Amino acid sequence: MSDQRKIIIYICLISAVFIISLPTLSMLGTSFKSAGEILTSHKLLPSHFTIVNYQKALKQAGFGINIRNSLIYAVTVTALCLFVASMGGYAISRFKNPEFRGFAFLLLIYQMFPAMLFIIPLNLLFKKLGLLDTPYSVILGYLSSSLPFSIWMLKGYFDNIPTSMEESAMMDGCSHYQTLFKIIYPVSLPGMAAVAIFTFIRVWNEYLLASILLQSEKYMTLTVGLQKFVQEFQIDWGGLSAASSLSIVPSLIFMLFFQKYLISGLTSGSLKG
Amino acid sequence: MLSSQKLLYSRKIGYLFLFLPFSILAVIRLYPMLRGILLSFTDFSLLSPKDVNFIGFQNFKKALTGDKEFYSVIYFSVLYTFSVVLLSYVFGLFLALLLNTDIKLKGLFRVLILLPWVIPPAVAATNWLWLLNDQNGLINLALLRLGIIDSPILFFASKEMARFTAIMFGTWKSMPFMMIVLLSGLQTIPSHLYESAVIDGAGVLRQFFRITLPLLRNVSIVCISLMFIWTFNDFEQIYLLTEGGPINATYVLPIYSYFLAFFRLKMGYSSAISVIALFFLSIVSTINVRQQRDNF
Repeated sequence: MSDQRKIIIYICLISAVFIISLPTLSMLGTSFKSAGEILTSHKLLPSHFTIVNYQKALKQAGFGINIRNSLIYAVTVTALCLFVASMGGYAISRFKNPEFRGFAFLLLIYQMFPAMLFIIPLNLLFKKLGLLDTPYSVILGYLSSSLPFSIWMLKGYFDNIPTSMEESAMMDGCSHYQTLFKIIYPVSLPGMAAVAIFTFIRVWNEYLLASILLQSEKYMTLTVGLQKFVQEFQIDWGGLSAASSLSIVPSLIFMLFFQKYLISGLTSGSLKG
Repeated sequence: MLSSQKLLYSRKIGYLFLFLPFSILAVIRLYPMLRGILLSFTDFSLLSPKDVNFIGFQNFKKALTGDKEFYSVIYFSVLYTFSVVLLSYVFGLFLALLLNTDIKLKGLFRVLILLPWVIPPAVAATNWLWLLNDQNGLINLALLRLGIIDSPILFFASKEMARFTAIMFGTWKSMPFMMIVLLSGLQTIPSHLYESAVIDGAGVLRQFFRITLPLLRNVSIVCISLMFIWTFNDFEQIYLLTEGGPINATYVLPIYSYFLAFFRLKMGYSSAISVIALFFLSIVSTINVRQQRDNF
């Protein structure tokens, strides 16, 4: 490739990346500005670095509670989802009777259902069970919305593991469950990692379900908690930017250190066709 | 070997594995969904939760014949979905082509382009609101200073501008997925095809239309149909950016359904709107499921 063409590609990519990350850059910049500078400065980055917005967001506004709640929900749902989805993924990967195919088909259908169609009845169901406005409501809700995708993703990974390995293990006297734990899990760690990252980010980012199923501040997630900084006639841009910046930390970590799994997860579902 | 395989993969053992995932999904997914569909045939309202009547297709009849708002919602839903899918595909493919060359810092570019995809919609929406606001938003300040505009652009005030901004926001958020999927599609195209095309004297454009696009066909069908389903069903992105305003201009079906259920408390009618959305989606989903059929 000629140097000239390379330079054009670099220019295109750099300007694209700049435009794409502009909203995020401006948020990070604003979060380190003082209240006065936020309203007067025309610059992307602060001229006087301050962390007062972060202190305010965590202490006065109590955004720490929201972060803690989101973390608890995300970790719990991810653990449960990996456990349950690996069983489901293994079942539809290895067993081909009509009922298993039917289940796999049902999972695909689940993903196209408008969320509102099941949120209203779910709300009624949780009300009846006394789970409304408890952590259980969102944990169960998120688990059910993460499972279909996770089961399909893990099925894809399990399909690539030759059955001869588990057959010889079972010949040696391992039970099916032992085989799953001793043979399948270790071999499919990359797949499990991808599913884990996906589930975590999905729960961490979700807004609608939390805003409907939860009311108490002590259980509220961070996406809904951001509304604290928005009053009817006044928005606390400093606090909002600081809280928002804190909210993207896990995603940034996953992006920087586990990019491989994230990308393999993104593409695994779509590239088979 | 065959008999042992039959023994190892007998149905009973499969049921053991399926039990937990199936029962969880049956109780907190399948049951609510079926009940949601049933609700669409009733006049259930939270104003009188005890008094529920089966009213047949009346909700659907009302939506299709007696609800002016419904048609404007359908119009923007379809406009929004087609625009976001088309624009994110075009930009995603463009960036994927740029990244599928032998340049340096590929990993860094990829991470930065992926960013919008992993940011919570609640955060992304507030970032855009801040960037685009009319008093001290960076975009307006920059345009004013460059002399391109005389007065700030009100990105959320008029019907047309709010719709335009919502579509741009949706494209920004969806484009990374398209880029990543198309990039891995591009990487599966064998390079000798291009080499022989160059020998035959084919230019860049000809290579793109004769080799790249046709070989990306399957990947494109899957990512377009997936993105169509996601965008059509998406509530959070638009709601958090505009709350459906100004004056319902950016209502899409999920937001309308939400508004009917939680503000007007008409659960039955709201469910009927969702069922109509489901009908639209089932057409697109057939394409997606057909593409995935070999995986069963």
